[in-house]
Amino acid sequence: MVAQARPGEWVLLNYRMPREPSTPRSAVWRTLRRLGVAQLSDGLVALPADARTREQLDWVAAEVREAAGTAGLWVARPGTLGQERELAAAMAADRAAEYRAVQEHAQVALGLPDVERQRALRRLREELRRIRRRDFFPPAERDAAVAAVEDLAAGTPSPTGAQPATDARAATARGER
Amino acid sequence: MKWATRPGVHIDRAACAWLIRRCIDPHAQFVFVADPAEVPPDVTAFDMPGVDLSHHGDDCTFETLLRRHDLTDPVLWRLAALVHEADIDDGHYDAPEAHGFDVALRGLSMVETDDRVLELTQPLFTGTYEFFRRELMLGREPA
Repeated sequence: MVAQARPGEWVLLNYRMPREPSTPRSAVWRTLRRLGVAQLSDGLVALPADARTREQLDWVAAEVREAAGTAGLWVARPGTLGQERELAAAMAADRAAEYRAVQEHAQVALGLPDVERQRALRRLREELRRIRRRDFFPPAERDAAVAAVEDLAAGTPSPTGAQPATDARAATARGER
Repeated sequence: MKWATRPGVHIDRAACAWLIRRCIDPHAQFVFVADPAEVPPDVTAFDMPGVDLSHHGDDCTFETLLRRHDLTDPVLWRLAALVHEADIDDGHYDAPEAHGFDVALRGLSMVETDDRVLELTQPLFTGTYEFFRRELMLGREPA
């Protein structure tokens, strides 16, 4: 259908802040990183538009203005589907790197004594939750990270290859978005 | 007094409405306005970008309200930690229940009007306040 082939809506934030003081600059940078924005160019970031992302960037804009900067919020569509796919792929690659880090940590923690393993499990579950909140285009690495953390919960690595438990987890992960 | 906030109420606005009725203006009436520029002159706006009663620095609007009205009750600040983490989720506070509140409030606003969300969440915040009050007094989780 033609309607489905149209690029979706994105919310864009353009912003400019004084170089000094640097504290509000880095606070804004940290917030944008937590939100998982796509960096389009210097001072221009984007998120797929919905009520939440719009509000989140609205607050960032207010924060920029409070720090004597200028900011604007826009709702726009990429000119072509290809451009949108590129944007989505870049965001997915950012998340994939984060998921890989979780997976690696989980695999290392599997060899730890029980108490430390449980501590690592709590931390990694929390980290996974935070990544998933800013994951708009889930990459394949997500399921692997979720599985590695669940292995950590079970205390044993699951045998490689498709097996019912892994499939069920992957399905749950997909359904949650 | 009339108070205005944005439609599509989530935890911060719902908790602010509860706080306003409880500690600031028992007869508060709430209206929902999408654009800060459309707020009528005799109405106090909150949780809208550009108005004073909003996010400031690390604070969410609930915390701003507590500061502006010199509300120092530690139980209210414990509730503020919950609201802050459910709203912003930046790990500023340790409030493990925040994620559950976030899910509950977002789900509620999918199926109810803003007026209903405010109405339904008031007893929830009153009860949570009571839980935190007892917890602080006892120094452990109440029964």
